[in-house]
Amino acid sequence: MIRRCCSGLLLLALTFVAVGSASERETDDRGVLLAIAQAPLKTRSWHNPYEGQPDAVLAGKKLFLQHCAECHGPQARGIGRAVNLHLSAVQNATPGELEWFLRNGNLRRGMPSWSGLPEQRRWQLVAYLKSFRR
Amino acid sequence: MNSIYGVQHAGNDFIAPWIEFEYGAKAWWTTEFYLDWQGTLNDSALFTGFRWENRFRPLMHEHWINPVLYVEYENTTAADKTMIEVVGFDSQADHAVPNSIAQKEHLHELETKLILSSDYKGWNISENFIAEKNLGHDPWEFGYAVGASRPLRLAVTPESCNFCRENFLLGAEVYGGLGTSWNFTQSGTSHYAAPVVAWQLPSGVTFRASPGFGLNSNSHPFILRWSVSYEIDRFAHRVRSLFR
Repeated sequence: MIRRCCSGLLLLALTFVAVGSASERETDDRGVLLAIAQAPLKTRSWHNPYEGQPDAVLAGKKLFLQHCAECHGPQARGIGRAVNLHLSAVQNATPGELEWFLRNGNLRRGMPSWSGLPEQRRWQLVAYLKSFRR
Repeated sequence: MNSIYGVQHAGNDFIAPWIEFEYGAKAWWTTEFYLDWQGTLNDSALFTGFRWENRFRPLMHEHWINPVLYVEYENTTAADKTMIEVVGFDSQADHAVPNSIAQKEHLHELETKLILSSDYKGWNISENFIAEKNLGHDPWEFGYAVGASRPLRLAVTPESCNFCRENFLLGAEVYGGLGTSWNFTQSGTSHYAAPVVAWQLPSGVTFRASPGFGLNSNSHPFILRWSVSYEIDRFAHRVRSLFR
């Protein structure tokens, strides 16, 4: 009886974990993570002022190693719940959506808000993140 | 690690260091533990108590003004001179009491703060409204702090550097008491104006200094706050791995 009860609880727990991780990785019809895609529509047209500037990519990498590598790993491949930033679900997002997401974070899922970083630095980070696509 | 040096009007100058352990338990919740000491010239040096603080972000998205709720329990003595905040009718005369007398008065206090913070064009603007209650007796005591700061350079350079402008932050703050629930007032309490400079090294070490100038006769004529902090990456993960 106890074994059956434990098996039931284990199954229930595994179901919750599976549902939880699926919802975290859910994407919209463009293939963008829902957490990022919740950015207001207007952000999709925002232009990265540092786009095409190799120095901004290097500066963004420096910022990434200072602030983001702790959770996402030095190669940005993700650690634990922190998302692999090379995934198309991240790379499909527009620069504006990424900047919005950096500013707001996803506090319920453990991603802090980076509003304390000046906007210029967030755009430099976006330039670095977008460089993974090449 | 933080410290304050205070110039005492009619009495002995003092240094009050405190150690602060901060842990980001969740993206919306930070918890901190403080241990306070003080040393008074021509008097003595002693441990003055501990504090446990929690900060909560009630809103999950960024707004023009972002509130943070702050709750702190303080178990200190009247000899505590850390002056982390100024409330009620705090006065420089409170710090002239000899340690042997002041340490006999134990304080169990609940401190709450509403911190409103905004980021605009690289500036961080913060307003704190403080309400503190001695759990044994006394009315609520109120205080305020208003500050603004900005990095010297908003974008970073591609090269790694320690002395470049992007690592320095300048600002200013004003803080003081606002009386009590029985007498809400700005007079009869102390007020300070203080420039702030911080140096954030890429290694995660931050140095901070803030000379404060008393704005009335109830204030210390001069105080100097300084701190050194270091951020340990993935602290919880490191602790867990010790027990594997």
